[in-house]
Amino acid sequence: MFVLEIKDLTYTYGGGTPFEKTAVDHVNVGVEKGEFLGIIGHTGSGKSTLIQTLNGLLRPTSGTVLLNGKDIWAEPKKIRAVRFQVGMVFQYPEHQLFEETVLKDICFGPSNMGLDQKQCEERARRAAEFVGLPDELLGKSPFELSGGQKRRAAIAGVIAMEPEVLILDEPTAGLDPQGRDMLLSQISDYRTKKGNTVLLVSHSMEDIARCADRVLVMNEGKAVMLDTAGEVFARGRELERMGLRVPQITGIMLDLMEKGYPVHPVLTVDRAVGELLPLLRKGGDRP
Amino acid sequence: MIRNITLGQFIPGHSLIHRMDPRMKIALTFAFIIFLFIASNFAGMLLMVALMFVVLLCSGVPLSLYFKSLKGILFIVLFTAVLNLFYGGGTVVWRCPFFPVMQITDGGIGNAVFVSVRIVCLILYSSVLTFTTSPTELTDALERIMKPLKVLHIKVHEIAMMMTIALRFVPTLLEETDKIMSAQKARGADMESGGVMQRIRSLIPVLVPLFVSSFRRAYDLAMAMECRCYHGGEGRTKMKQFHLTKVDAGAAACTALICAAVIFCTAYFPASLR
Repeated sequence: MFVLEIKDLTYTYGGGTPFEKTAVDHVNVGVEKGEFLGIIGHTGSGKSTLIQTLNGLLRPTSGTVLLNGKDIWAEPKKIRAVRFQVGMVFQYPEHQLFEETVLKDICFGPSNMGLDQKQCEERARRAAEFVGLPDELLGKSPFELSGGQKRRAAIAGVIAMEPEVLILDEPTAGLDPQGRDMLLSQISDYRTKKGNTVLLVSHSMEDIARCADRVLVMNEGKAVMLDTAGEVFARGRELERMGLRVPQITGIMLDLMEKGYPVHPVLTVDRAVGELLPLLRKGGDRP
Repeated sequence: MIRNITLGQFIPGHSLIHRMDPRMKIALTFAFIIFLFIASNFAGMLLMVALMFVVLLCSGVPLSLYFKSLKGILFIVLFTAVLNLFYGGGTVVWRCPFFPVMQITDGGIGNAVFVSVRIVCLILYSSVLTFTTSPTELTDALERIMKPLKVLHIKVHEIAMMMTIALRFVPTLLEETDKIMSAQKARGADMESGGVMQRIRSLIPVLVPLFVSSFRRAYDLAMAMECRCYHGGEGRTKMKQFHLTKVDAGAAACTALICAAVIFCTAYFPASLR
C-alpha cells in the first residue's frame, strides 16, 4: 500500500496561452509508507512543481495524487486537511517566519489545524526538540536567531503539524557542513522515531546517497528513474548526460570499474575503503 | 493568480514611435494632453482624434492591446458620461417623470460625448507612451527633463534612481509574495474564506515576511551599489545617450501643426458647434 501515489500526473503552466509550458509530464510514482525518497534533477526538471502538487498547492492539469488511496482533490474544500497530512518545507523556509516569538511561529501550523493552545505548545516544544532548538530560544523573536537557527525554527513549524509525509525542498542549502550533517541526521531520526515518510529534494548527491532508500530522477518533466540509491548512482554516465553527477566516491569507483578493476559503485567512503584495501594488499596486479 | 497583474506594460518593438527619443515622447504626450483640454469644439477634437489614431497605428502595438487598456477605465468613462448628460443647456430631450429637475438636454448629450472622447484619448495616448518606452528609458528621460530643477536643490538623479529601483523590484516582490503565500498555505493558512476582518488578519503571515525581505533586499542592494562606488548623480555619465533624430523632428513638427490647427479651430469656429 502506497502512502502517496502519483498517477499519470501532468502539470502545465500558462495553459491556453503562447507561454504554455509542461513542467511535469505524465509522471507515475508510488511512495511507500515509511520510506525515505530522494528526488534529484537538473534545475527546471520539474521537481519543485511535482512536490507542490503533492500537498495540493498546485492542482494537476491532469492525473491524480492519491493520499492513502484517496484522491486529494476529491473534495477541493477540504484541501487544507491534506496540507496538514503532507507537510512541506520550502527552500529557504526561514523567510516565512513572522510571529513575535519562535514558539508562536512554530504554533502557527498546529493552531491552523484547530488545536487548543496547550496542545499547540506541546507539539511546538516537541518539534523544536526534534530539530535541536534549545528551549531558551523559544521565547525570542525569530528575527534575532542566527541563519541556521532560523532554518531549524522554520522546519519545526512544519514538523509541529506532525504530518504523515514530510517533504523538504533543499533543506540544507546555504548551511555550513556541520549544520548540514546535523540537520540531515535529525531528519533521519525523525523518520525512524515516527515511522513517517520523508521526501527530500536536493542538489547534493552526497546528501541523497546518505539518506535516501530510493531515488527518483526527474529530467525535462519526466520521471526517468526510480530505484534504490545504489542502482541509480550506478548509472552515473546517464546521470551526467542529464546534467547531474554522482557522489564523489561513487564517481571514483565508476572510473575504476571502467578501467577494469573488480569494484562496485558504492555510495560511501567506508564501503569504498572496504573494497579498495584488499585490492591494494594483493598489490600490483593491474588489469 | 497574482501574476495576472500587468505593470510596466512595455511591449518591445522597432516601430517609429519606439525609436523616438523618450524625452520627446514625454514632451509630446504632455503637449497632447494640454491640447486635449484646449480643443473645446468638435472640429478641434476631431483633429486630436485623428492625430491619436495616426500615432496608435505608427506604434506597431496591436490595437487590441489598446482597447484592453481601456477596459479598466470603462466605468469612469460611463460614470462621467451619465453625469454630464444632466448638465448642459439647450432644448430638453427627456425629463424624468419623478424628479423634474433631472432633464437631459441636447447640450448635455453633446457634453457627454465630448468628455468621453476626451478621457478615452487621454488614456490611449498615455498608453502609447508606456507601451513603447521601457521603464528604464522612461525614468532616464524624466531625469533629463527635470534636470533644471537642480537649481532648486531637488535631487533629480536620486528621485529617478528610486523610481527605477522601485519598478525593477515589482516583479521580484510579486514572485516573493507568491512563494511566501505558498509556504504559509502549506502550514494551513486560510486566505480564501472568512469575512473581511479575517481576511485582513490572514494577510499578516504574508506581509511581515515580505516586509522583512524587502529590507533585506534593500540592504543587499545598497551594499552592492556601494561596492561599485555609486555615489549619486554627481559627475555620473550615461551609457545610453539620448539623441534627437529626424523621427523626433518629424513627430514634433506634426504635433505642432495639429496643435496650431486646434488653436485655429477654437478661435474661429463658434463654440456653439459643440
